[in-house]
Amino acid sequence: MEKLLNELSSECQPAYGVECDVAKNAQVPENLKRSTPLGLPNIAENDLLRHFTNLSRKNYALSTVFYPLGSCTMKYNPLINERIARNDAFNNVHPYQPIETMQSVLEVMYELEKDLCEVAGMDNFSLQQAAGAHGEFAGLLVISKYFKSIKQKRRKIIVPDSAHGTNPASAHGTNPASAAFAGFEIVPLKSELDGSISLDKLKEVLTPEIATMMLTVPNTLGVFEKSITEISKLVHDNGSLLYYDGANLNAVMGIVRPGDMGFDVMHINLHKTFSTPHGGGGPGSGPIGVKSFLEPFLPVPRVEKKKDKYMLNYKKSKNIGKVKAFFGNFPVILKASAYVKALGGKGLKNVSEQAVLNANYMLAKFKDKVNVPAGNRCMHEFVLSPKTLFKNDVRTIDIAKRLLDYGYYAPTIYFPLIVDEAIMIEPTETESKETLDKFVNVVNKIILEESYQEPQKLKDAPINTPVRRLNEVDAARKPILKWD
Amino acid sequence: MDYTPQNQKDKKQMLESIGVGNIDELFKIIPNHLKAKDLNISGGKTEQELLNYFLNICSKNKKLISFRGAGIYDHFIPSLVGEIVGRSEFWTAYTPYQAEASQGTLQAVFEYQSLICALTGMDTSNASLYDGATAAAEAALLALRVNSKNRILISSGVHPEYIQTVKTYLENSKAKIEIIPLSDNGRLDKNTVDPLIDDNTAAVVIQSPNYFGVVEDMDALSSAIKSKNSLFVAIVNPLSLGVFKAPGEYNADIAVGEGQVLGSSMSAGGATFGFMAVKKSLEWKIPGRIVGQTTDKDGKRGFVLTLQSREQHIRREKATSNICTNASLNALSACVFLSGWGNVGFSNLAETNISKARYAFTKIKSLDGFKAKFENETFFNEFVIETSKNIKKINKILLKNNILGPLNLSNAGDDFKNCLLFCVTEQRTEAEIDRLVELLAKI
Repeated sequence: MEKLLNELSSECQPAYGVECDVAKNAQVPENLKRSTPLGLPNIAENDLLRHFTNLSRKNYALSTVFYPLGSCTMKYNPLINERIARNDAFNNVHPYQPIETMQSVLEVMYELEKDLCEVAGMDNFSLQQAAGAHGEFAGLLVISKYFKSIKQKRRKIIVPDSAHGTNPASAHGTNPASAAFAGFEIVPLKSELDGSISLDKLKEVLTPEIATMMLTVPNTLGVFEKSITEISKLVHDNGSLLYYDGANLNAVMGIVRPGDMGFDVMHINLHKTFSTPHGGGGPGSGPIGVKSFLEPFLPVPRVEKKKDKYMLNYKKSKNIGKVKAFFGNFPVILKASAYVKALGGKGLKNVSEQAVLNANYMLAKFKDKVNVPAGNRCMHEFVLSPKTLFKNDVRTIDIAKRLLDYGYYAPTIYFPLIVDEAIMIEPTETESKETLDKFVNVVNKIILEESYQEPQKLKDAPINTPVRRLNEVDAARKPILKWD
Repeated sequence: MDYTPQNQKDKKQMLESIGVGNIDELFKIIPNHLKAKDLNISGGKTEQELLNYFLNICSKNKKLISFRGAGIYDHFIPSLVGEIVGRSEFWTAYTPYQAEASQGTLQAVFEYQSLICALTGMDTSNASLYDGATAAAEAALLALRVNSKNRILISSGVHPEYIQTVKTYLENSKAKIEIIPLSDNGRLDKNTVDPLIDDNTAAVVIQSPNYFGVVEDMDALSSAIKSKNSLFVAIVNPLSLGVFKAPGEYNADIAVGEGQVLGSSMSAGGATFGFMAVKKSLEWKIPGRIVGQTTDKDGKRGFVLTLQSREQHIRREKATSNICTNASLNALSACVFLSGWGNVGFSNLAETNISKARYAFTKIKSLDGFKAKFENETFFNEFVIETSKNIKKINKILLKNNILGPLNLSNAGDDFKNCLLFCVTEQRTEAEIDRLVELLAKI
């Protein structure tokens, strides 16, 4: 067990210090002065280095294990991108520097916007949003503002399987949350068994109040929406717009473009498709792309190029405002840019082809043994439902925990909610055949052998991790959210 | 270079296992008329070419000595911070959903939460938000959820980009946002603020030190907010809390702010992180992730994501926020940053900022053509100077000498027409400040 920082604290010489080379002159009036102790720990640098290094070793990370997390696109994070982003020449730029001294930053942003447009079939991109959900929110505000500008009252959004009442969900949880956040009312739409949309059911909910429909293509079961052309026509004939959740863009780069499918607004997660690291939960980046008629509504400032000079344009009359301070998560944008420059159009297409090949290869190895509710083909990810195989009270959570013992991070489990005991696997394109083979063998071994012969092993799992199964109920019932 | 490891032999075997002849068959479901043409993106750069390409781009950036702040600050980042956040076990990990395999990130977030609470004097911190501006917006939304009131009062001393972000976030809500003017001394006057707060005021949002560098008398402002049962949202610079009153001391309900000063680089304004800490009574209303301590099967201490029924993946459209990914790695920077000073060292860091800023302030205001805008006010590391000189010329000359001069405040309203916002952090040496003063004196 690694001590907590407050337990490490002693009366030693602490790690950091600062010298003041002018006269100390920090008297402040009593009414403004802090009177309670700071309560910060006092720890030497050597001990701090050990503490945090030891903590890091308690993580399963992409750099140590295979991370087949469905819907999260845990692909290799190229080291060269980190090296470029750690350059002080970029890191020391102040956001309010004169524009002529930050041309490099604007150039990188301008170029990435242009390249994302090409990948997505959109006309413009904004890079300001800090994450996928932030992008959804901004994208929906763009839609809201657009309808206000043409004086139409449309306050409802269709989210397939948005988990209303007892309907289980296939859409990402952020979809309905972002919609509510942006002030919309959610209209649920029950999807088919493979997560696809029924045109008849869609027609029933397409009322004049619908502003947009949010779709993930391919969907969260890894199935491409075969009726997308018809869906697009129905939605647009209704005067509504189509929103693309780009969480699964890794399946279709260079193969089909959201803009060409009829989507008007979309977001991309650079920390999924464009290889930037997840950082244990951020920072990410969630650029939004739009068709040209929505460009005036994008957050300000917009990066523009006049002759050879890059500028920031704050004067957009219809803009939704700002969704965060300054321009966006620049280091993330920079890493994504390095990724695109390494791959180019051809490379990006190859990425999607390999991602889909890897997923189908794994699926082929599973399909005769474990139930796959969405069929024998998938795009970049697929969902297993081993429920019928379970005996001895074994559940999907036990499979996941046992996988940790074998040195794998667990796949996404219990999502999408429309599948019982779901195990959602996304290998990504950066894993070798050998890695996939080994993983499939281990999963099959756990489900088909261990769960029958040694079910207690699964219930007891994990045993090889720094801690064993943790009591989440107690954690929520009697919350301890900081040290004493 | 595309980072895919399969060779031709592997691919052939894989296709055979699937039972298709080529990769195109895997995309059969996509209608032909929708299939994309070749993407027009140049690429194919090797690692070395990539490095050179970007080195070439950023070689245009001059190294500048910064006297500019206004929300993003040039502070020293200890080597330990870079070493720890540079560990791939941290930066390549996902959000810690599988707790047993994520104890490193989880314990670090728990420690981060503890440190933020210690610093702000608040009861409960979340795991971080995107940045200071969105943290302010989330605080306003939190207040609107707690009471059924709909007026949000915001000090005009709040960073203008934060005000814009709050407005964007509240665009489609029923809330009405009203801006409270500052008085002539650059800060809020209790006598102006108190009458504005009515029974329908959900929250009063005040920043200290404010955008113009002035430290607000938060204690004095607190009582009227409380008497109307409104929530007090304090936006604070966490470094300044080494000296100035903490939000917990003046009874704030929600403390938020920009965390960049705690170990993140400026990076053109992002990625940084926002922090949020609240009173115990608001714990279940807080947006975003929270880590809690618990025990494992053997009774050993461990950490998990908790109070998750507030969040989007469980509550969906009824969640406290739509936030999912936050700014975990920057919060880790803050954790490493905050754990190495000790109480005395951290106060000393804050005092050094004040001392150096005062040193510069005293010298600059005594130059011909320059005077203090708010002569008798307390500031942390930023202050406003009014000048009779040509501001554009000032910054042009400074830039020629590799100095990023003060921010021109002419866009901040009529009161600030000929005003400059200077920032002096602990990074600036006596020699650099003297050089700045010398150059200003010649203009």
